[in-house]
Amino acid sequence: MDCYTANWNPLGDSAFYRKYELYSMDWDLKEELKDCLVAAAPYGGPIALLRNCGRKEKAASVRPVLEIYSASGVPLASLLHWNLSPPQWKSGPVVALGWSAEEELLCVQEDGTVLVYGLHGDFRRHFSMGNEVLQNRVLDARIFHTEFGSGVAILTGAYRFTLSANVGDLKLRRMPEVPGLQSAPSCWTTLCHERVAHILLAVGPDLYLLDHATCSTVTPAGLAPGVSSFLQMAVSFTYRYLALFTDTGYIWMGTASLKEKLCEFNCNIRAPPKQMVWCSRPRSKEKAVVVAWERRLMVVGNAPESIQFVLDEDSYLVPELDGVRIFSRSTHEFLHEVPVASEEIFKIASMAPGALLLEAQKEYEKESQKADEYLREIQELGQLVQAVQQCIEAAGHEHQPDMQKSLLRVQQKDVSDEDVARAINQKLGDTPGVSYSDIAARAYGCGRTELAIKLLEYEPRSGEQVPLLLKMKRSKLALSKAIESGDTDLVFTVLLHLKNELNRGDFFMTLRNQPMALSLYRQFCKHQELDTLKDLYNQDDNHQELGSFHIRASYATEERIEGRVAALQTAADAFYKAKNEFAAKATEDQMRLLRLQRRLEDELGGHFLDLSLHDTVTALILGGQNKRAEQLARDFRIPDKRLWWLKLAALANLEDWEELEKFSKSKKSPIGYLPFVEICMKQHNKYEAKKYASRVGPEQKVKALLLVGDVAQAADVAIEHRNETELSLVLSHCTGATDGATADKIQRARAQAQKK
Amino acid sequence: MAFPHRLDAPELPDFSMLKRLARDQLIYLLEQLPGKKDLFIEADLMSPLDRIANVSILKQHEVDKLYKVENKPALSSNEQLCFLVRPRIKNMRYIANLVNADKLAGRIRKYKVILTPQKFYACEMVLEEEGIYGDVSCDEWAFSLLPLDVDLLSMELPEFFRDYFLEGDQRWINTVAQALHLLSTLYGPFPNCYGIGRCAKMSYDLWRKLEEEEDGETKGRRPEIGHIFLLDRDMDFVTALCSQVVYEGLVDDTFRIKCGSVDFGPEVTSSDKSLKVLLNAEDKVFNEIRNEHFSNVFGFLSQKARNLQAQYDRRRGMDIKQMKNFVSQELKGLKQEHRLLSLHIGACESIMKKKTKQDFQELIKTEHALLEGFNIRESTNYIEEHIDRQVSPIESLRLMCLLSITENGLIPKDYRSLKTQYLQSYGPEHLLTFSNLRRAGLLTEQAPGDTLTAVENKVSKLVTDKAAGKITDAFSSLAKRSNFRAISKKLNLIPRVDGEYDLKVPRDMAYVFSGAYVPLSCRIIEQVLERRGWQGLDEVVRLLNCSEFAFTDMAKEDKASSESLRLILVVFLGGCTFSEISALRFLGREKGYRFIFLTTAITNSARLMEAMSEVKA
Repeated sequence: MDCYTANWNPLGDSAFYRKYELYSMDWDLKEELKDCLVAAAPYGGPIALLRNCGRKEKAASVRPVLEIYSASGVPLASLLHWNLSPPQWKSGPVVALGWSAEEELLCVQEDGTVLVYGLHGDFRRHFSMGNEVLQNRVLDARIFHTEFGSGVAILTGAYRFTLSANVGDLKLRRMPEVPGLQSAPSCWTTLCHERVAHILLAVGPDLYLLDHATCSTVTPAGLAPGVSSFLQMAVSFTYRYLALFTDTGYIWMGTASLKEKLCEFNCNIRAPPKQMVWCSRPRSKEKAVVVAWERRLMVVGNAPESIQFVLDEDSYLVPELDGVRIFSRSTHEFLHEVPVASEEIFKIASMAPGALLLEAQKEYEKESQKADEYLREIQELGQLVQAVQQCIEAAGHEHQPDMQKSLLRVQQKDVSDEDVARAINQKLGDTPGVSYSDIAARAYGCGRTELAIKLLEYEPRSGEQVPLLLKMKRSKLALSKAIESGDTDLVFTVLLHLKNELNRGDFFMTLRNQPMALSLYRQFCKHQELDTLKDLYNQDDNHQELGSFHIRASYATEERIEGRVAALQTAADAFYKAKNEFAAKATEDQMRLLRLQRRLEDELGGHFLDLSLHDTVTALILGGQNKRAEQLARDFRIPDKRLWWLKLAALANLEDWEELEKFSKSKKSPIGYLPFVEICMKQHNKYEAKKYASRVGPEQKVKALLLVGDVAQAADVAIEHRNETELSLVLSHCTGATDGATADKIQRARAQAQKK
Repeated sequence: MAFPHRLDAPELPDFSMLKRLARDQLIYLLEQLPGKKDLFIEADLMSPLDRIANVSILKQHEVDKLYKVENKPALSSNEQLCFLVRPRIKNMRYIANLVNADKLAGRIRKYKVILTPQKFYACEMVLEEEGIYGDVSCDEWAFSLLPLDVDLLSMELPEFFRDYFLEGDQRWINTVAQALHLLSTLYGPFPNCYGIGRCAKMSYDLWRKLEEEEDGETKGRRPEIGHIFLLDRDMDFVTALCSQVVYEGLVDDTFRIKCGSVDFGPEVTSSDKSLKVLLNAEDKVFNEIRNEHFSNVFGFLSQKARNLQAQYDRRRGMDIKQMKNFVSQELKGLKQEHRLLSLHIGACESIMKKKTKQDFQELIKTEHALLEGFNIRESTNYIEEHIDRQVSPIESLRLMCLLSITENGLIPKDYRSLKTQYLQSYGPEHLLTFSNLRRAGLLTEQAPGDTLTAVENKVSKLVTDKAAGKITDAFSSLAKRSNFRAISKKLNLIPRVDGEYDLKVPRDMAYVFSGAYVPLSCRIIEQVLERRGWQGLDEVVRLLNCSEFAFTDMAKEDKASSESLRLILVVFLGGCTFSEISALRFLGREKGYRFIFLTTAITNSARLMEAMSEVKA
């Protein structure tokens, strides 16, 4: 352990890189890797090899064999490619292999058909990249990953690009033509910018960027002069950075937009590299590029010197989120920047809290009292928490179980789930294709419920969190998350879970704190579970709604009069509790009215129940029960005005003109006499109308006279009032010859008024 | 008359694609049940369905008989039944009863339920509870946008208003988000987005989330529509509560336009038959008068009639050849125009009979007084008399609400007495109506001073609670004041009158209310478009109680053409009125914009009040 830093290689002043073996490979390869099509799934996933892969120079009789191995070289499947697929696709040779984010193997054939296999070589499905691809054949193809899934990009024999950004939801996009392109690009890659896939390609000294509408030329910021061709390009795992290798042995490193240069390096090797990939991790200090030739590996970054390794065997690089995997016939290695936490702890003579803690732990194992001294020192500095966190984080980056264990042992038992979740998040970030709910589900499967919950917090889509939370019986949390997602169906699903899981009281209490869910549930209950609705209001002491509930019941569910009155009584009580005296009194009035209507029906026959108070009185008058009508009006304190309007309408309706006149004289009308005129005219009784017109007060006199058609007299009154509005009103009623004289009279009066 | 659009006014996108999409999907669903079948349609869906697929199309896909979903036993003898309904629990129960009755009778049939515009889990739950989940197949017909006219899309969801603004039910927000998503898929992304209101904010957020989940399909497209504006109905109840006086609004208030067409009764057609008339831009006569103040319409129509007569009269001097030409080329068009003209003249006469009476004049006068805030006592008395005389339950309610909103609530004495009078006139069940109106903030009592009651305090705390940011509490409106008067002053909603307002040549959007009032909703939209955001409107936003829910979102890279930037989609959540549409069409003509309207449903004061009213079954 003392030589722990022996394999650390400095790049520039700040960062170290190390390469170490992950596995010695178990596979027993018969061929060289360079003779195979190779595809390794990211995140340490499986490796697929296609031997005899039908390159044209191969004899047609040799059938291609597809083999799938685990990362350590354990064979998972071996099959004669297209033996398992239906015969109609025995068409073309395979041009490219690649793994999807779901770890499905995609085999792109020359005719644009893509065959999809499972991890164990089971044939899943196939799809086509379209007619244009079929016509012009596939020249080159790439499988790439975005946050939506995995995509396929094709370069056809006509030098056109076709791509699908997500093979799970296949939408083909034919990219625009590069003007004047006569040969295949020297290199190309897919970029992903603002959620849209682009193609970057190099032709001679030019770089072209294709989006699905336009083709534009781009120039990397600060590119050294003299470049006549680009030999390799590499885009970083997260699509943020791009590296270009030119025919002058020069490497440009910058942002994927090409607008910003990070650094450049001249390696003085002009031979085209076999592979070039980025080597960095979220929050890494440096951003470096690894370039591989036949027997040489070079790590290049913002430093005057590069790190060089010799390759003993034919090797293959796999870019990862946190470094680069390198495998060959015999070994599988990992190359990465030494993480900050590890550096702090293991750096020679480090006094970082994590380093002291590790030291303390070592002394403790030796049963030395020095352990206590170290620990005391950390505690005095108040850095225990930080120390623990450093160790956990470093453990996450170490690949030797012993080292992991000693790092983890330092915290004894209190590895907090939160720290673990954070460490996982720091490692993965928001990498495309990573589903935190899947990781959480796995954690839950291992019995780590709390860890699963913490992990779920990193899941950006709240809807995705809900199913697992329900499974873990964290229904209340699930409810909050469902509400956050805005998906009411999801909320309802959780509600039903909660309803079955909790007792009624707890269920209601939960609802009480979630108004959105409460409204949703109430709506459901209103139509499907009326009793539950009542209980809900009860639980909430929502007396107002409870009152309303019983009012509704008094006419919607109860049929017998006693039941209805009882419902109203309950409603009134509730309203009193809600301090809504108005509603309580109104409800009590209604109880009285109902009883009375019942009695009226018994005594008089006819229909009274459920009439409004106004209509009840009207019905009595229409039935000739004037006495009872009066009584009712008094009992229910019907205001005078209303009573007059009501009687007026009823008597006119009966055409009981005699009674109407008697009524009009019973006392001074609180509504004036114009309404009498109006209603008589409405019943076409001009004779009666005229009687009342004379009694109309001066303000409405003109209106009344006009109503009964006495234009001349109306004119006189208006002139007497010297009221211009009235004068024009009368004038507008003067029609034809009959009122000619009247009109003249008004005009004269007007003229006179103006003189004055 | 019928002001032409400016020459540079942008073309409207072609929305007929939405109809084709809906039709194709419906046919696909019908074909999922091969062979002859009877189709049960919910009454509310009949008119919208008719605009998408008429009976002969349905017959082509082996629909045998059509039934209305109603509370009667079904008499169908078909072996296959298909139900086309809204996702409502009562429909599910209807279907369940029917299926269970068949089961009892030992009858075996195939059932398919098509829910539109979307399925709800609660509905499937009911089928499960009623024990028929396995017996029926459930599908979704994502028909959420019906183009009623070249510039008008309706979701035909009148219940949205009550569900959201009264019950606090957020189910339809997803439907709105889906509809917006569909629009952006078909017509490109919207580079500039504005909105105000809690529902607007939630719909917008959910829509954004949908766009993000799908592979930026719309990203690369060039936007066809430059702006979108989302507005909650409760930002402006006042406008919706006013009597309408532009022709289309007045026709709606008088005859009820349903799904873009109206039934003109015998009094209009001057025959013994009723006639169903489609009212849209294709009706050339209607198109010229729809946005006009009613006082101009009759004069215009008579002039038009005289012109038409002159055209007919040209026949007199014609020789045979000219006559032949006339008959083959012009006569049909003239006859068509003649037919339309007489219909609209009939409608006008019928409206005039009803509306130009003194009663109507006084009603309008009262409304204007309420809007301007003078003679409150007199208006209150007017309303009371209105109630006492049982003029109309809905009208009375409307006036009460208008009084309440313009005055920040009724003073306690009036609040009690008007309610008492109303209950005496129209029955005690309206206690519930009042409870609804209070909850929705439409009819409230002025709080003594500015102190909130304990309940309101509690509620308002809940509402402003950050953690509860996404929560709509059904009672949230209690804590709000309408502040209409202050807003009106800030936004200059009551134009100053210098002399007569010329309704023939309107000078602002106030013409839709006879020059008395600029619709608040339209003014907000105008101001935000002018300022390209909410800058300088902070005080208005605060008065609208919407500080957290006013938003602007502008695309950084503007790929939009200048033409598309003058197209504006206005989304009314909870319904919009024809007056608002007319006002914005006017604004568009003035400024060289074109507005496109998307509404959850066409509404007016009566529909709003009916949505809040409690009626005995």
